[in-house]
Formats: sequence, structure tokens, C-alpha cells
Amino acid sequence: MLQEVRVGFLPELKDSRGEEILYEIRHALGIRSVNRIRTVKVYRFEGISAEAARFLAERLLCEDVFQEYRLNAPLVTDADRLVEVAYRPGVMNPEAGSLLKAAADLGIAGLRAADSSMEYAFYGGLGDEELELILRRLLVNETIQHVVTEKPKTLLLGGEPGRTEIIPIREMTDEELLGLSRDRLFLNLEEMRLIQQHFRELGRDPTDAEVEVLAQTWSEHCVHKTFKARIIVDGVEKKPFLTRLREATARVARKDLVLSAFVDNSGVMAFYEGWALCGKVETHNAPSAIEPYGGAATGSGGVFRDIMGTGQGAKVIASTDIFCFAPPDTPAAAVPPGCLHPHYLLRRVVAGVRDYGNRMGIPTNNGSVHFHPDFRAKPTVIVGAYGLIPAAQAQKGWPVPGDAVVVVGGRTGRDGIHGATFSSAAMTDRTQSVNAQAVQIGHPIEEKRMADALLVARDEGLIRAITDCGAGGFASAVGEMGAETGARIYLDRAPVKYSGLAPWEILLSESQERMVAAVAPENLPRFFEICREHNVEATVLGEFTATGRFEAYYGDEKVLDLTMDFLHHGLPQRLLTCSYRDPAPQEDPDVPLPQDWEETCCRVLAHLNVCSKEPIVRVYDHGVQGTNALPPYGGVRGDGPNDAVVLTPLLGKPYGMIIAHGLNPVLNRIDPYWGGLWAATEAVANAVAVGANPEELVLIDNFIWPVPEGEFLAQLDRAVDACVDFSVALGLPFISGKDSLSSTYRGRGTVIHIPPVLCVSVFGRVPDVGKTVSADLKEPGSLLVLVGERREEEMGGSVYYDLHGALGKNIPRINLARLRETLGALHRAIGAGMVRACHDISEGGLLAALAEMCFGGELGAAIEIPAALRPDFFLFNETAGCFVVELEPEADPALLFAGLPCRVLGRTLAAPELRVLQSGRPLFAVPLERLRAAYCRPMKEVFGA
Amino acid sequence: MRPPVMVLRTDGTNCDVETAYAFEAAGGAPRLVHVNQLRAGREKLTDYRVLVIPGGFSYGDDVHSGKILAVELTSFLREEIESFVAAGGLVLGICNGFQVLVRTGLLPFGEVGPIRATLMVNDSARFECRWVRLRVEESPCVFTRGAAGRVVTFQAAHGEGKFFTDPATLNKIERQGLVVFRYVDAAGRPTQQYPDNPNGSLGAIAGITDPTGRIMGLMPHPERNILPHHHPNWRRLRSSYPDGRFVFENAVAAARKS
Repeated sequence: MLQEVRVGFLPELKDSRGEEILYEIRHALGIRSVNRIRTVKVYRFEGISAEAARFLAERLLCEDVFQEYRLNAPLVTDADRLVEVAYRPGVMNPEAGSLLKAAADLGIAGLRAADSSMEYAFYGGLGDEELELILRRLLVNETIQHVVTEKPKTLLLGGEPGRTEIIPIREMTDEELLGLSRDRLFLNLEEMRLIQQHFRELGRDPTDAEVEVLAQTWSEHCVHKTFKARIIVDGVEKKPFLTRLREATARVARKDLVLSAFVDNSGVMAFYEGWALCGKVETHNAPSAIEPYGGAATGSGGVFRDIMGTGQGAKVIASTDIFCFAPPDTPAAAVPPGCLHPHYLLRRVVAGVRDYGNRMGIPTNNGSVHFHPDFRAKPTVIVGAYGLIPAAQAQKGWPVPGDAVVVVGGRTGRDGIHGATFSSAAMTDRTQSVNAQAVQIGHPIEEKRMADALLVARDEGLIRAITDCGAGGFASAVGEMGAETGARIYLDRAPVKYSGLAPWEILLSESQERMVAAVAPENLPRFFEICREHNVEATVLGEFTATGRFEAYYGDEKVLDLTMDFLHHGLPQRLLTCSYRDPAPQEDPDVPLPQDWEETCCRVLAHLNVCSKEPIVRVYDHGVQGTNALPPYGGVRGDGPNDAVVLTPLLGKPYGMIIAHGLNPVLNRIDPYWGGLWAATEAVANAVAVGANPEELVLIDNFIWPVPEGEFLAQLDRAVDACVDFSVALGLPFISGKDSLSSTYRGRGTVIHIPPVLCVSVFGRVPDVGKTVSADLKEPGSLLVLVGERREEEMGGSVYYDLHGALGKNIPRINLARLRETLGALHRAIGAGMVRACHDISEGGLLAALAEMCFGGELGAAIEIPAALRPDFFLFNETAGCFVVELEPEADPALLFAGLPCRVLGRTLAAPELRVLQSGRPLFAVPLERLRAAYCRPMKEVFGA
Repeated sequence: MRPPVMVLRTDGTNCDVETAYAFEAAGGAPRLVHVNQLRAGREKLTDYRVLVIPGGFSYGDDVHSGKILAVELTSFLREEIESFVAAGGLVLGICNGFQVLVRTGLLPFGEVGPIRATLMVNDSARFECRWVRLRVEESPCVFTRGAAGRVVTFQAAHGEGKFFTDPATLNKIERQGLVVFRYVDAAGRPTQQYPDNPNGSLGAIAGITDPTGRIMGLMPHPERNILPHHHPNWRRLRSSYPDGRFVFENAVAAARKS
């Protein structure tokens, strides 16, 4: 029998979580019939007596200073509705392990299993439909949770191990091959036929494990078929995308700076005193679309493991998060079937990133959020991670035959099966029900203790090679590590969360928080000792061999026997053909000058792509590790945004690491080439605005594109060209990248192409953080200067046009040669201590940049617009690579920025207002407080801050 | 002499490295020690002068923040800790460490066992990371010796930091002068106003000591403001002495004497 303990706040105390939910019910759902919510934690224990459960309640679960409990009885008896929400059986509850540990520490014997869940007590006359809506929209994600209607009889999951099946592929018709592929393998007919042919030649049929491993290894997610394909654009054959990017890197990468590019789980650049920095940026769109909390959390967890799996293991020192959603006030009816509402998605994705990063102790201090209605079918969730590693251990390691295959960290369950293949597929209205098992909740503490143990093992030189068990699980990790040698593993040795897993499921499971290390036999005892000391499970799964084969056994049964050659080279290079068509043939709109300038400025600042994201940033710990030297928001009131983050990864040393990024999905809709240049320019401009050296930066690309067919492929081709041209012109190498080419939604009768996203991330080093600047204005009376080349009429894709419901045509076309000179001059000025504050211009234009500088400094500004220019275009043009710079009153900008486009705007003011003049006459003046209120409102409404 | 400082870590501890650095910079000799090493007897508290429980999410903050570690310490190391304290050892709990100390009973009254106060979920129901102003109160606390009346800026980063207790206990804490830090507004007055008081703590209490003054716990992070580039607005400020340093310097000085 199960023992149940219910714990809640004393009724006279404020139940903050209940109030938070009440706020959401009122604001997100508009339901007013609920007037109070109490939350009750429910704990269940199997295998112990009622007495033991009471002991646990008093010593562990309930603190009578503020709580009360009931044993095997309801705690709340007077509510109008009482609903319990629990994880579904089989979904790992991270708290269960702690309950077992604490019970053991308290001397409770016999406890076999434990679980916890939440009970919500609603007060007020809410109807069935309202309750249903609250549960569905806010409290229950049916992918992983359910409403408990009757008390479970047992918490133990069991089952006979599944068997290995033989797939009679040799005799299959094309139709049968496609049937096998659909919802399971996500390969096309040509690829399915190749597998068929291979097994016909071998004279046998494959096991389920073999076709699954092939599908996984050949998935777009893992092998990047499109980026490696030969491509013909408008009748002209061009080099594969990946080749172009790598050749550009080979051309510009400085040997003393770039230590590892494109070959490892992250790219590595040199830091100082024998240290190196590494960076990786990943997407987790598909999982986040169907379970945003778990999807975003495991996205963070995965990219952290990419850092931990670089070289012989790096320490994760920073995290970034970049999201694209539909507006949070999107009408429910506009959300396509099978998709979740953006308000819910935004809040839950933020919560997922928050909980994973904060618990791992990784500062999350750079990011952004973008909104466009066409993200309603699938959000874009980009998570980046950066690391610190001794340069001597920064090269990718390769196992030696005889090395043990060691799995470290969490146990293997049925979670995430088919994640790699699934993320390569387009979303459909069936995605949520068919692919539910592809997501899971993360366990950051499991990953944290694994990280702690691995760093000790690395420092003792015990790790030959290490990689993340990401998409594709053991199949991918072991298959890749052993690609040059061979590997043999025994699946029945893998520690599992519950029995009943089929061998192929163990092989393919994407259970989080696991890594695979190659450890020489003589190092195993010490490696295991370190793991034990950190409460980390580690198991020898098999060994790396010299056979050139990937073999897996379950007991005596051989379930997998493929040559590494067929696995990794059996897939022929694709040939893709496309032709370019102007995606946005419309012209620029005819926009009248604003009648009410104050109102227009407020609307620009309150635009979702401009407004303050501070309520999001505040829930991320950006100070942990004690390395932050420029916070995401700073200034007098802590509400002025900065362009990039500056870290001092080596405590007590002046060396700085700078991280920034850029993207603008709207521009790619109009012109993917100039949109791509804008994104890369924005990234680098953000970094240089705080003081980065434009000669010592490296880049990371992320292409998140609709399924690359026809015109979308041709657009992607242009975006890749933009990256290559940027890289060569600025002399900055890409050292890591990722493409996810499935941003297409196909529902019944609807096809939605999610806006193409090119996100460029950048990181670099500076020898002295003392020579970096923030964006907040420092002194009244300073000179304000606009630096950088722009053509004011290039307003296409701007927030200002969007306010007029227009997209426009002429987007900023950045002059790369001029940009390079501008960045160099700005860097020299900052390095010489001449710059008091600097802010890069992006969405919302000069006005938004200047307003943000004023917020930070609690200072005003007076600026003058040249007579010949349209004042609205002057204020709202969004050309990246332009900067607002605060200089000393007597500074000579013509000297500092000699030969470069540079214009004195005006002066800073002690009075908190923004004054704009043209031709010597006042155009308008706005109090800072009005602008600030508009700027802060949108996200405050979503997050209730 | 650099007094030995044990920075205790376990699954989910994540402010250990910078806390150790803060002690190192202040003249201590910190060592990171895993609780398993203590339990196995490979490390002994008696070899140290200061015990620090740093911030983080020990065991995921499951059940209550800091609870699982508190249960572990009181179940296995109760006597060792009691004799360490009796012998004049110093104990510091920051953020998650403060939560642990309260849940072992060491704070507020230095008795392992009964839980007299708690740190509840923030009034905002959210984890929040923001810089807060704190006033150092008159107290017997050795970590803040000579600093009473000073207003300092530390970063708070927590989801469960609302100091709470019953009226009688609060009264006793105040009467004995055990409050070490209070959240204050721009004018330096203790406040219940969000966000100056980021979590709704009773009496604006951010940190307390035990009656001996040798055990201190606080929610905000002094170790995040010990370097010239730590303050979020160091570029605007004239002062170059980082606000958090005195906590560690006092600890090292007191440990040298004891």
C-alpha cells in the first residue's frame, strides 16, 4: 500500500504559487470566477509503514513554522474544486531521487519508490469548461503530465524486456518502405532503398536496432544532408554550403587564435595564460514546440554537454538564450491545431531555461526575444553555451582500440526516443500526439554533479575522448567516437530507469544527462572512484575495437552489426536544385510623417521587438560564478540594457570574454542576403559596442529555415553566401554552426513557413575588462555622436514600417569594408578611454538606442536632425553597425573617427527628457518617464513583474 | 597564517569556486570539500577554522531549498558540527547555505535540531537575480565587525529567500540583536517594498547570526562583489573598495584569532 503525505502552507499565510497561478488565470485566460488558489504538495511512498511516513512528514516534508500536513487524508476539504496533477508513469520525476536519499539518511528502511505531485484547490464558482481550460492551458502538459483521478496502486514500473525484431526489408515494396519510414524513421524513399539494397547484398534482413541506428545517423539533424549537398542554383553549380563556410574559415582564421573549428562539439579559440574559450549554439525548436518547459530545459542541458564534451572536457561558464515567438496576445483561434499558444510557450520556455541554467550554476547573461505572427506554428528556441578549457586539452580526442566505452551520468529510459529523426521533420497537426515521447524533463542536478566529476577526471588526465549522448543516444555517441576504429557495446549493461526497454530503445534513447567517455583500461579505477565520490553513476558499456564495425549485444544476442563505413559513408551526397525568386516583391510603403511624435516614440519603444526584456533576464542568474563584468541590464536603476556580456572567467585576472549575437527574421523575409549580413553585423557590432576587439572575435552560425525545398533552398543559399562574404570581408572565422531545416508547419489544409532565422553568435577576448564600456549615459553635457554608415531611407523590415502594417522593400545594405574600418576606429576610441558610453543601433533605430542610454543614465538628451533628412527615417532607421557614442564635452569626433561617417547628434542633459530639434527648431520633446513606461509595459504584462 | 576554510559542496552546489576565491583573496586557505569526503571521514571539520556552505541548489532544492543537505548534515555530522562550533569555529551560509543553516537549526539560536525560522518562496513566486541595498545592523556577528551602519550593495539571486518565523521568535531575534543585514530603500530605511526587499522577508531581514556571533547566514551574495569589476555600475562609481570584501576579511581575521 502507498502512504500519502499532503503538505500545504498554513491557511493564514500567503500562498505565493497559488497567487501566481491566479494571476495567470485572470490575465492570460481572462477567467474571473476563481478568487483563491491553494497549492498542496502530495508525496507518495511505497514499501514503508504509516508510522515511517509520519516520521518523514515531520522530519523532512513539512516545516511547522509555515506549513501543515495530513497523512493519508485530504489537506484541503473546503475548496470548490480539487485537482491533482502528476507526472505520467515513466516520466522521470527529478525529486524522487532526493526523497529516497533523504529517507535513507533519516534511517528509514524498506522504501522502494517515492513520488511527488501537486494538488490545486480552487475557490470560487468556476464551471467545468473553465476548469478544463485552466488545466489544459496552464497546469497540465499532457505530453508529460496527467490529472490524477484515482490513487495509484504502485509506483514501480515494470515489464519484460522488449525483444529485437527482424524487419523483412528485403521483400518490401516502395509503399511498404515509406510506411516504415513515416512517423518512425523520417527517411526518404531513396534512402530507404539504399538500406534495402545494403541488406540484400548482405543476404539478411536487418534488426529493428539496425534500421533505427541508420535512420538516426542519416537524419538531417545528425548528418546535415542539405549543408553537405551539391547544389545547383539557377542552373549554376555551387559548392556545398558547409564547404563554403569552412573554406572561408580556412582563409581568415588566425592560427594563434582559432584552436578548433567545426570538428568538435564546440569551436575553440585561444584565451590567455594557456587557457582557451569554446562556444556552441544549438536549437531546440521541435521539442520546445510540444513541451516548452522540458524542451527548453533539455535544450540548455544538451548544449552545456556539448561544452563539457569538447576536447577532454570544458567547464561551462556562460549560457545564452534567443527565442522567436508569435506575439503573446495572439488570438487563440489563430494558433494552428496541434500547436501551443505563444503566451504559454514564452513563459514556459523561459522557465525551462531558467531552471536548468540556474540549477547548473551557469550564468545566463546574453539573449533576446523576437516576435512575429508566423512563429505561431513553431517557435524558434536557440540556446548557446560557452566554456573554459586548458588549451592543451582543447583538441578533439579519439579513442584507441581497447579503450573502455564508459557511460557516465543519468540512467537510460524511454525518453526522447526518435528525437534526432523527429527534429528533422516538419511539424504537423499530428506532431503533438505522435511524437510525445521525443521530449522529457531535464535533471540539471544530475548534469551538475556529472560536470563536477568530469572536470576532476579531466584535470587528472583520465579522459581520452568524450562526447555528449545527445540526439541519437548511445547510437550516435558511440557510433561517432568509434567511427575510425570500431566499437562493441553490451546494451544489457546500461543502467536503466525501469525494466521493459527493448534493446533498440536502449541504443536510441535520448535520456538526458548522459555522456560517453573513452577511458584507457588502466585509468578506469581512478575514474570510477571520482564518479563515486560525486554520486555519479558510471558503467563500462563495452570497448572501442579495431574492427571497423559497430556491434551491439543484448546478453548473448547480437542486435547490431554494421560497418562504420556504411553507417557513416553509405549515404550518397545529395544533388539539390533550386532557383531564386524574390520573396518579397512589394515596394516601400508611402508613410506620412508622424502627427503625434510622443505617441509614435512610445509605440516604437513598446513594440515587442524593441521593448524591455528585463522581466525575463531577472529570472536568470547572471551573476553566479562571480565572473560578470557587464550585466545584461545596468545603470542607475538597473534597467538600461547593454549590448553584450563581458565576463572574467579567470577570477582575479583582468582578461575578458565578450559574448553577443544578432538576428532579424523579418529582414530575411525580404532579402536573405542583406538580412544575413545584417544579422552578422549586428552580432559583431554588439560585441564591439562594449569594447571587443574586432580582430579577435569568432563566429557561430545557426540557420533555422523552412524545409529547404525550391525557393527556400535558394534563399538559404543566399544567407550562406552572406555569412561567407561577411567572414571574408571582416576577417572573422565561423568556428561552429548548426542548421535545423524544418521550420515548416503542415496541418490539414494549412502550410505555414516560419520566418527564416539566421542567428549569428560571436565571442572573443580582451586583455583588460577595465577598457570596456556600458551603454548607460554617464554625465550631463557630454557630446553625443552617431558613428557608422547608413542610408536613412533604407527602412524595409523596420519596426517603424511595421507600425504602419508594412514590410517594405529596401532593407539596410551594409557596406562591409566601411564596417570594418568603423569597428576598428570605435575599438581604438574605447581602448583609449575616450568613450563614456556606447550603444549599438538595432530594432527601433537611433531613438530606441538613445532612449535606452538615457534610462540607464537617468539623464536626458537633446539632439538635432539635419534639415535635409526625413526626421522619422533619421530616428527609426535600423541599420546595424551604427552606434550612438557618448564622448567628453571637448572631444573631437572628427579626429577620433577620421574619414568615417560620423555626425554630432547633440548633448546629454541633466533633465530627464528627450528633446529633438530640426533646422534649429524644436520638433518634439518627451519626458523619459513616458518612454520608460511604454518600454517596460509589454513584458511586465506577460510576466506579471 | 592562512586559516583553513572548508567550502562544503555536494550535488547542485554552484557558488563554491567564487566563494573559495573570496576567502583566498582575503587571506584564507580555502579547500573545496565534498560532503561525501566528510561522511567517509577522509576530511575532518576539526582541521578547519571556518565552515562555509555556499550557494547553489543542493540536491535540486527538492522538498525545500537546502532541506536534503540539512537532513544529511544533522543525520551524519551533528556531533562533529556541534563540537566545531563549541571550539570556536566559524560557520557561514550564503544563499542556499543560509537555507541549510536555518533548516539544521544552527540559525538563529545555534541549536542543531529544532527549526525556528524558515526561508519561504519569494512573495513574487519567482527566482530573481537583482542587486539589492543592505544595511549592516549592530549585532554580535564577527563577520560584520566594525561595519555596523554601512549600506552595501550585493546581488540577490534566489527563489526562496523570504525570511519568516512566528512573532515570538522574531521578537527574540530582534531582542537579542541577531539581525545582521536588512534590505533598505534608496534612503537607507528598512523596507517591505518590492523590489528593494526582493522577497518579502519579515522585518526586511536578509541575514542573521546566532547569539555567539560566529554563525552567520544571508541570502544575498557577498562573494559576487569582491573584485573591482563586480559592481554592476563600476564604470559609474568612484569607489574602488568592493562592498563584499569585508565579510571575508573579517572572517579570516576572526579565524586567525580563535
